[in-house]
Amino acid sequence: MWMASFRIPYNARRLALTVCVVLLLGFFLLPSQTQNLFQQLGGPVGWLLSWPLQGVAAIQDGIGDVWSRYVALQGVEEENRLLHREIEHLKGQNNRLRESAVATDRLTALLEFKTQALSTMVAAQVIGRDTTNWYRTIVLNKGESDGIQPEMGVITPAGIVGRVVKTTPATAIVLLVSDGNNAIAGLIQRTRDEGIVDGTAQGGVRLKYIPLLSTVRTGDRVVTSGLVGGFPRGLAIGTISKIEKEEGALFQSAELTPEVDISRVEEVLVIQSPYSPPPSGEAGTPGLKSKS
Amino acid sequence: MKAILYTILILSVVPLQSIVLPHASVWNVMPDMGLVAVCLVGLLAGELDGVLMGLAVGWAMSLFSAGDAMTSIVTKGMAGLLAGLAGRQMAQITPMVLVAGLFVVSCLAGLATVGSVKLAEDRDMWWALRTVILPQACFDAVAGGVLYWAAWNWFDVERLLKESRA
Repeated sequence: MWMASFRIPYNARRLALTVCVVLLLGFFLLPSQTQNLFQQLGGPVGWLLSWPLQGVAAIQDGIGDVWSRYVALQGVEEENRLLHREIEHLKGQNNRLRESAVATDRLTALLEFKTQALSTMVAAQVIGRDTTNWYRTIVLNKGESDGIQPEMGVITPAGIVGRVVKTTPATAIVLLVSDGNNAIAGLIQRTRDEGIVDGTAQGGVRLKYIPLLSTVRTGDRVVTSGLVGGFPRGLAIGTISKIEKEEGALFQSAELTPEVDISRVEEVLVIQSPYSPPPSGEAGTPGLKSKS
Repeated sequence: MKAILYTILILSVVPLQSIVLPHASVWNVMPDMGLVAVCLVGLLAGELDGVLMGLAVGWAMSLFSAGDAMTSIVTKGMAGLLAGLAGRQMAQITPMVLVAGLFVVSCLAGLATVGSVKLAEDRDMWWALRTVILPQACFDAVAGGVLYWAAWNWFDVERLLKESRA
């Protein structure tokens, strides 16, 4: 049987009790200042805690790799055949889109629109999820030391994921688009009606405050409007799957199917400066600053 | 020795909660092992250890959550204090008493969290109770019961309790 002494000396007890009382008083009397103090002090602590976090994440990745490469290979042949078919289909679609892109470039130049470009992005890996059940967040393996700051937008090539809400030197916490506390300015691509995208209690995504006269319909794509937040205009958010119009309501709302499968996202890009104009001659080329 | 044990506990709670437990979540709810650990420490080592561990674990967990530090630190600190006081008052702690106690403490911590944060417009107290607080309290109670049973078999729990009450 293992034995340990759990008795605390009287002086230490008194000191610890004083610290607790001061801390609690600080939280109740000066909440914002105390929060800021803890956020500042949390930098080195977060850095220290990020080591076991990244260690466990690496072990998890290793196990996942072994599983996906050697164990879960059932149905790969069928999947391969389907993917080949899809590639053929996409090649044709790609050709048509190239033509459209050339035409769009020509028309854009004609109308003298400034091309909006993403000047800097940082690639990061998802190493964890929120430590509580109250928020839908992911933890990234890049933080302040990589130039990531709160309010920066987080995306994948498919669409938006969320925005950074908290950072430590080595990690960043991203509030997902499916969290009810998130709000991102969205735009229905076809009708150009604007609204606010937020999460639902069931973990879905919806677009609120669509004008009543809007001709929105299921299947319409919703993109970022670029008006507020850390996202440029035109990034995919999702597709409208259901429209809700209540009797006497001033606005209508719609449920979205997100472009990104948020529960399975593994690598993301953090947008560091969404609005800076591209250098001359490199218009429209998003730069990716890889720091992995 | 105790400091090392507590440091290991704090360092291991965050990866466990952030990486391992999301895989074991049911209906997107997972147990709060930080709260369970703090309650067990409070119960076995006294209210002061419980409070200090609660503050430390609460702070560490808040660094990897979108929630504010104050709610996490205060709820976990109070949970440690409650567990310590309860442990001091009870003559014998059976697994059933522990499971019931953890359920109550977890519910109180959940209610305190709901009271301190602004819920989104489509969510209310009933939603919080039904989808997060009660399922999490059940998980916490079961996890705490299992850990206590393991601690009972591996450590001299009776002696720890006697020491903490001295």
